[in-house]
Amino acid sequence: MTDTTDTTDTRVPVLRPRAATPRAAAVRPSARERGTRLLAALFLAPTVVGIVIFTVVPIIGSVVLSLFHWNVIDPPGWAGAANYRSVFTDSTVLVSFRNTLVFMVFAVAAQLLIALSLALTLNGRMPGWLRSLFRSAFFFPLVLSAASISVVMKYLFNQDFGVINWLIGLFGIAPVPWLTSEHGAMATVIIVYVWQQFGFSFLLFVGGLNNIPKEIHEAAALDGATGLRKHLAITLPLLSPTLLVASVVGIINALQVFEQPYVLTDGGPGDSTRTVVMVIYEKAFEQLRFGEASAVGVLLFVLIMAVTAVQFRLSRRFVHYQ
Amino acid sequence: MTDSLLSRRALLRYGAYGAGAAALAGTAASWDRLTGNDIPGRDDGSLVVATLGSAFSPDGIRTLLAGFRRLHPDIKVRINAVQAVDWPDFFAKILTQIAAGTAPDLVYVATEGVQLFARHLGVPLDRWVKRDAAELTEYFADVHPSLVESMMYEGSLYQLPIEFNAADMYLNTQVLQRAGAQLPADDWTRDDFTALLRQLKKANDSHFTPYFWTNRLWGGVVPWLFANGTDLLAESKAPGGSWLWDAFYPADRRQGRGGGFRWTTPRATSGRVEEAYDYLAELIQEGLCTRPEGGNGQNLIGVFSTGRVGVTPAGGFWAGGLHLAGMRADAFDVQYFPRWRTQRHQFGAAGYALLRTSKKQDAAWEFIKYSARLDTLAALFSTNQTTPARRSMLTAARYRESGPAHWRVFYDTLDKFPDTGPIPAPPQVAEVTQVLLKHTGTALASPHSVRPALRRMQGDLEQAMERDV
Repeated sequence: MTDTTDTTDTRVPVLRPRAATPRAAAVRPSARERGTRLLAALFLAPTVVGIVIFTVVPIIGSVVLSLFHWNVIDPPGWAGAANYRSVFTDSTVLVSFRNTLVFMVFAVAAQLLIALSLALTLNGRMPGWLRSLFRSAFFFPLVLSAASISVVMKYLFNQDFGVINWLIGLFGIAPVPWLTSEHGAMATVIIVYVWQQFGFSFLLFVGGLNNIPKEIHEAAALDGATGLRKHLAITLPLLSPTLLVASVVGIINALQVFEQPYVLTDGGPGDSTRTVVMVIYEKAFEQLRFGEASAVGVLLFVLIMAVTAVQFRLSRRFVHYQ
Repeated sequence: MTDSLLSRRALLRYGAYGAGAAALAGTAASWDRLTGNDIPGRDDGSLVVATLGSAFSPDGIRTLLAGFRRLHPDIKVRINAVQAVDWPDFFAKILTQIAAGTAPDLVYVATEGVQLFARHLGVPLDRWVKRDAAELTEYFADVHPSLVESMMYEGSLYQLPIEFNAADMYLNTQVLQRAGAQLPADDWTRDDFTALLRQLKKANDSHFTPYFWTNRLWGGVVPWLFANGTDLLAESKAPGGSWLWDAFYPADRRQGRGGGFRWTTPRATSGRVEEAYDYLAELIQEGLCTRPEGGNGQNLIGVFSTGRVGVTPAGGFWAGGLHLAGMRADAFDVQYFPRWRTQRHQFGAAGYALLRTSKKQDAAWEFIKYSARLDTLAALFSTNQTTPARRSMLTAARYRESGPAHWRVFYDTLDKFPDTGPIPAPPQVAEVTQVLLKHTGTALASPHSVRPALRRMQGDLEQAMERDV
């Protein structure tokens, strides 16, 4: 844990010798060290090559394409900033960014809350086989195809013929417009998404909880700390690195949501569940405006980078490492 | 790396590593291995024909290929059955193939894509049609001119239609009997339609939906616009086309025909469009039909065949679908769309489009001609999964097993209502469709939301139509 009372600037002793004795930095590594470095480079090479080919090049390609008009059929033509001007004045694009942010906030919050609650519950006293059963059950939706799940959910949540409205109808509740009202549709998309995704955060939290030494909880118990107090003062601070990872991954995934709203609502009613990635798909593959689609993609990339940077910046205050 | 002072020995060593790596990479690159070109049929000189995966049965495709091989043993054909959810999805995948440099020679294209393909990718068939006029006379005599006109663009013909589907009304006869209702008359009106829905609603429980419709370009709001004497976009005809009409159709049947449809100015805020939306909004408010987002074709056969839906718009394709779902031929029937200001119907047709990028255009034309033959279509459409474009194929024998009793409605929709026309499908059809679906959902959210939503639809349509695809 970080000691906030220590005001010593630990960087000074490290930097000064480097500046004062430049030759120290030029000390040649031993043959063994060079061999290790070479081996490390060889092992890393496939991953680096993969990232360059499948991530870096497409990103650069998207940025370049966002400066051209291209409809696949005819040769690309220079557009300059026209695609960006076009998407900034396109109400559908702006609404899709708003929807995506709303989706992200509610979906990630719900996902983390449910995953954390269940992880804490399962971390208590429970037969091993039952704990394994629950873990498998919670993780299971994650390995299923999002599109397949969404097709099934579309049947279940159908207002007129769906099983869910039939079930609640048994209790005298009127049919709920799950997918046919603006707020209902967004809520339903979030429900389906969270149901499928919380298993990932859940597994992270289970791992994080297992890494917290029992001695700390035992010491706190000896000092008279209650269950809630132990969670707030010990579990959560020590779990904060896991929380950071879960929230970063959760937010990045949520900002790229596509299958669930695409299959469940096709972005409707109106534009109420249209997300940024849906707009990218529609502009590119339905409207043949690959330049504009790339411009929206670049904006989404910038948004994800910005949100992630803010998260890491804020994490300095809230994340505690042992 | 901080080791900037590299010794000669280290330099030689790293050089050796580099040479070794290059040798390994070279060996790997030259290793005999499988590539995309090893897929059977790829780049083997075959004529590649792309079809929507679910359009034809495997048996139908086998018959199609075998028959063509007998006729043209020198032309190799490969069917590329592209799996897609719907026509826009299919077009997207074809365009991806074109972008990847693996464009097919022929593409099965429906009305939704006729003008898009004609404008950017298609080859007009005019010169071949003129050359083989004698051979094609029998075909055109058997095919309604409306279908042919829907495949024309700016005076040229781009496809020979081989199938179509008009939006007629399917009725569940068991549901009608339960409510004590009769099959409506040919000339039933919109008010008769509303009264029938109320009668069906009254005779069934709360889980019953009298009218089920799907929010899409074909069979959604547009049939109601047609019935009310309007369209989403102002419709006109391109000049030209007389080369075809004069050669193949008698004077009475070629009257008023032109060089294909033009869809231009959006008219979403016109009074008649508002009326159509108001009418559907009233049906929803009264609980007589599904909301636009609620209805989707995926579960339609299930809910219709089990008596949870009374009436739905569909084409000849549904006869085969319901039969395969186990519905008896007398358990459902079909009638024309009800009359409002007019009884104009909408349809969508399909045929093969020849791509400019094809290097086998003469061979492709032979396939197009072959695909429109009577015996070919009879083999291909054996299960009534669509309405054949050839009138002579619609016989009592064809519908004896699958039904419905009033199967004549399918082709008579063209013959009895000569103004029946194609769905509005300009080259910007993808965006037009998206705008229509999106704002229809909003417009029908409540009785007061129709006008604001249609104003927004008009603005979006104007933007879409101004864009050059």
